Amino acid sequence: MSTTSLLVIAILILATLGYFLAGKRAISTAGGDRRKLHSLPVYYGSNAAMFTAIPALGVLLIWLLAQPMLVERNVLSTIPDKFIPEGSSIGLVMSDVRRVADGLEVVVSTGILSQNETLKLDTEQTDIRALLAGVGAAVGSDVQPEVLEAAQNYRAQTKMGQLWMVLIVAPLALFGFALSVLAAKPTFRARNTVERGILALLVLAASLAILTTIGIVFSMLFESINFFKLHPWTDFFFGGLWAPNFRGDSDLSILPLLWGTIYISIIALIVAVPVGLFAAIYLSEYAGPRVRAFAKPLLEILAGIPTIVYGLFALLTVGPALVRVFGRGEEGLLGVEWMSGATAVLTAGLVMGIMLIPFVSSLSDDIINAVPQSLRDGSLGLGATPSETIRQVVLPAALPGIVGAVLLAASRAIGETMIVVLGAGAIAKFSANPLEAMTTITTRIVSQLTGDTDFASPETLVAFALGLTLFVLTLGLNVIALYIVRKYREQYD
Amino acid sequence: MNDKNIMESHMGTTAIKISARDVQVYYGDNHAIKDVSIDIEDKTVTAFIGPSGCGKSTFLRCLNRMNDTIDICKVTGEILIDDEDIYDRRVDPVQLRAKVGMVFQKPNPFPKSIYDNVAYGPRIHGHAQNKADLDDIVERALRRGAIWNEVKDRLQSPGTGLSGGQQQRLCIARAVATEPEVLLMDEPCSALDPIATAQVEELIDELRQSFSVVIVTHSMQQAARVSQKTAFFHLGNMVEYGETGQIFTTPQDPRTESYITGRIG
Amino acid sequence: MTDAIQKPEKKKSSLLLLDARTRTRNAAEKRFKAYGMIAVAFGLLMLSILVFNIVTRGAGAYQQTFIALEVELLAGKLDKKGNRDVDDLKKVSTFGYTPLLSNALEAKVTELGIKTDLKAKKMVGILSKSAAAQVRDYVLNNPNKIGETIGFEFLASSRVDGYLKGRVSRDSIGNDKNISPAQLDLVDALKAEGFLAKRFNMSFITGSDASDARPEAAGMGTSMIGSFFMMLVVLVLALPIGVAASIYLEEFAPKNWITDIIEVNISNLAAVPSIVFGILGLAMFINYMHLPNSAPLVGGLVLTLMTLPTIIISTRASLKAVPPSIRDAALGVGASKMQSVFHHVLPLAAPGILTGTIIGLAQALGETAPLLLIGMVGFIASNPPDSIATGLLSPNSAMPAQVYEWAKRADPAFYERAWGGIIILLVFLVTMNTIAVILRRRFERRW
Repeated sequence: MSTTSLLVIAILILATLGYFLAGKRAISTAGGDRRKLHSLPVYYGSNAAMFTAIPALGVLLIWLLAQPMLVERNVLSTIPDKFIPEGSSIGLVMSDVRRVADGLEVVVSTGILSQNETLKLDTEQTDIRALLAGVGAAVGSDVQPEVLEAAQNYRAQTKMGQLWMVLIVAPLALFGFALSVLAAKPTFRARNTVERGILALLVLAASLAILTTIGIVFSMLFESINFFKLHPWTDFFFGGLWAPNFRGDSDLSILPLLWGTIYISIIALIVAVPVGLFAAIYLSEYAGPRVRAFAKPLLEILAGIPTIVYGLFALLTVGPALVRVFGRGEEGLLGVEWMSGATAVLTAGLVMGIMLIPFVSSLSDDIINAVPQSLRDGSLGLGATPSETIRQVVLPAALPGIVGAVLLAASRAIGETMIVVLGAGAIAKFSANPLEAMTTITTRIVSQLTGDTDFASPETLVAFALGLTLFVLTLGLNVIALYIVRKYREQYD
Repeated sequence: MNDKNIMESHMGTTAIKISARDVQVYYGDNHAIKDVSIDIEDKTVTAFIGPSGCGKSTFLRCLNRMNDTIDICKVTGEILIDDEDIYDRRVDPVQLRAKVGMVFQKPNPFPKSIYDNVAYGPRIHGHAQNKADLDDIVERALRRGAIWNEVKDRLQSPGTGLSGGQQQRLCIARAVATEPEVLLMDEPCSALDPIATAQVEELIDELRQSFSVVIVTHSMQQAARVSQKTAFFHLGNMVEYGETGQIFTTPQDPRTESYITGRIG
Repeated sequence: MTDAIQKPEKKKSSLLLLDARTRTRNAAEKRFKAYGMIAVAFGLLMLSILVFNIVTRGAGAYQQTFIALEVELLAGKLDKKGNRDVDDLKKVSTFGYTPLLSNALEAKVTELGIKTDLKAKKMVGILSKSAAAQVRDYVLNNPNKIGETIGFEFLASSRVDGYLKGRVSRDSIGNDKNISPAQLDLVDALKAEGFLAKRFNMSFITGSDASDARPEAAGMGTSMIGSFFMMLVVLVLALPIGVAASIYLEEFAPKNWITDIIEVNISNLAAVPSIVFGILGLAMFINYMHLPNSAPLVGGLVLTLMTLPTIIISTRASLKAVPPSIRDAALGVGASKMQSVFHHVLPLAAPGILTGTIIGLAQALGETAPLLLIGMVGFIASNPPDSIATGLLSPNSAMPAQVYEWAKRADPAFYERAWGGIIILLVFLVTMNTIAVILRRRFERRW
């Protein structure tokens, strides 16, 4: 069992102990009469458990999160710059150091070598690489003395950090324990304290949302900065070619990918917006209650189908069907050879459009229903037909909302992954032909991060830059959509 | 100027514009309008009065078939306008509503410009040959609505930007733009302040020179000020119908008297 | 007073006659209404095409071709030392079992009087490559049976299976190295005698994924377990955190800029593309925290972050639906605000919260993109995990990711399995959504 787990279990046991002790103590200090206590005994107990466990566990968590970073930074600073070989980077070296250090830990835990023996290892005498391979730790190349030294340093610091962690966290728990049990007296307002504690936990839970956003932004920003150190940002944003190359002189520009993304999204919107809007209009203005009760839930089902299903649908059904129409030369329906493969912009666009229909439809439905009935009555009272009323009064009144809905649908289309991964292909190009395969930002993120390329290379890091751009793009669309809806909503309130 | 109308009755015979016979209206199982028969005269202001829920608005909405928009509403009986049954199968409500205009309780200008609000009706019915025609129609309607001078310099500004009274006059202008022959008004002043109410009431008196006006009102005093004929509705029945002066001074039916004197409300 | 403008005289028209313009307008009305109906019909048509596709293409995965053979477990080949020692038996690899299979096939062919030019080695080609392993596993578990003749049901190779399902025909085999016309003849003969048939294949549902060469043996079982562990993590984490956050935002948060920022963040996170969460998972959980790659724990953590906004939004709606009078009543008898929330409001909002959570879990179950980035694809887990810890931490796949993996293998046999996997996935989703709807109907209170 690792030190950390032992520590956590110890804290939890102590907290439980504190719960019972404090409760008992509260009653006994009240002379056995529960009614004399300010709060119910359970609150005294909870108070004790809280003060024992939460500060200690909190510090433990922060320590666990921060320690690797600090240790790495320390070890990093000890590695001389001139040591870093050509074509590599400090990041690569550090990951080697980490792997060696972790491998050596396994060596000790499996009993192959004792702790002392590992400390005495020498790259000249032992083939460290083979030793590590024996326990399943793969290192890319022979272990250099500098790397071994850094790894030993890493292990030492980690051990030291663990020691300090126990030395700080355990007394913290004990201190909390003692303090809270001693405080269990009738005049102590345990319930208020406990409730404040619970409130703090609630606030923490709520702030997780902010933390997630910060996490998303920073995780991508950090690696994007690393990327831009290796690859000029001007080429990324303004270059014209996407051609990753293992040798390292890749062309990594987002523009062809952006084009593919936008092209497919436009086709998706061309399908989804008219169909979704008209479906919403029909269901809210024309359809009787029975049709509505039947059709609306069915359309909602389309929204609940996972995107992997749509992706498969695109690759295996829609794609080949389109090829049968637009391709295959003489055997095809039109007798043309325009389409060579099942993956194409049109395939992905059509299927994405189908996926977005319920999205647009339900948003539009909400918006149309929000238009007051008095406007419809006014129009009908003037002798307009229902379609004229919808076209000339309701839709213009609902227009900001509908524009917002379209933008939200566009944002969803741009961020979609599975349909394009399976349906759109992997070729990056600037073409206007919808029957060709064209790749998107999301597809490339997947391919660059799941390949075998080294993590610190620009070809992999570019995925973070792509992700950051995607995030900003979708966020921007959402914000604009919200702004438009909010700004124009006062029109007819 | 309007006070004089209370005691005056019409000069001469006026034609019957709307003739209703044995009209029943059901909202689902609820029998809302029972056996209403009434003859509404042309070029006259007819007021429908009665306590809340007595069916006056419901009956009003039968006259331009606005009740068609409510699924559970069923109308039986005969309603003739110019001797044509408006519930005849051949009648398209769309054409009917060009002939019978409506002004609603709460002003409901479209979120369009003042010009487009008024031009909406003529546009959809194709009353104008060209832009100049349409401009004329809009101006005429706005004058009729007693609002031309206030808005003539800002016809493109949104209709929703006017004050409450102005909005209602705009809605009246919009309703008369299609040159209807009958104008239905469902408590047009209930959402307006006294000054705006006075302006609208003045307007109604002028409008009666060109249209038949049927006005539903909650206020007996308004009915007395504005109308020449009054019909009293109670619990879905039309209890009494006659000259306004006579209804308010010598009502025949005890229920009418109870309402007038304030015993029921 | 208003100015009177001369009104031009209008001809009185009859209401009983439709004028031309009204007729045109009515036609336009009909067209408009028709567009609406067409749109709804289009959506429903697409839905039915989708469902039809899934069912017809995926149903095949549940039926697999099996061949019944009696295999003599020759002691001479399997247990040279003759002591039935399992460690010694293990030294015989699957390669050593293949002759047993060819013997069995030869025997069957002679017994049934089937005429074929195939050599025994080629005959074995109609069996799945997993057949030898199947016999070996049996022998290792039952060493005392060596020397007897045991009846086995072997999976047929995927080409044979495809032949029986119509995917493969004599015209299409062409240069296919994995099947020959002579083998197909053999298959026909065996089928006629009743020793080769399609039957329901339970191991598709319970088994684990198989290598590229053995699509007939691939199953969804282990990926289902991976999904299960992920959902466990999501439930254990997202529900408490989501409810806690909602309670704070709905009951306790003051109306200031900090609360605004939190709420803006939540609605933004609900709209962030799922792949960005995958990047977050990769960067934070795998690279920074060095959690094991491809582990359901990591997948669960990522999906928790994704599901949190959904749960928060629906929980807030449920909390809002509880009328203020309930809270006032609790405060009126002297309960603290927190007691009123936890003792009164929360239990009343519980059905709605539960429904929202189930729906959130259903959405998370179908997510694929983030899982691709944290490595929960492309892994062939062969054994079900033995404890919760291994279940959470050992590399595994998840249902949607497994389907994706099969789709990538560009083999029609795997495509069939992908569709079949989708059927299982959709069965789970439909069940969860139905439970949510039933719960909602049963427990919803109309205030």
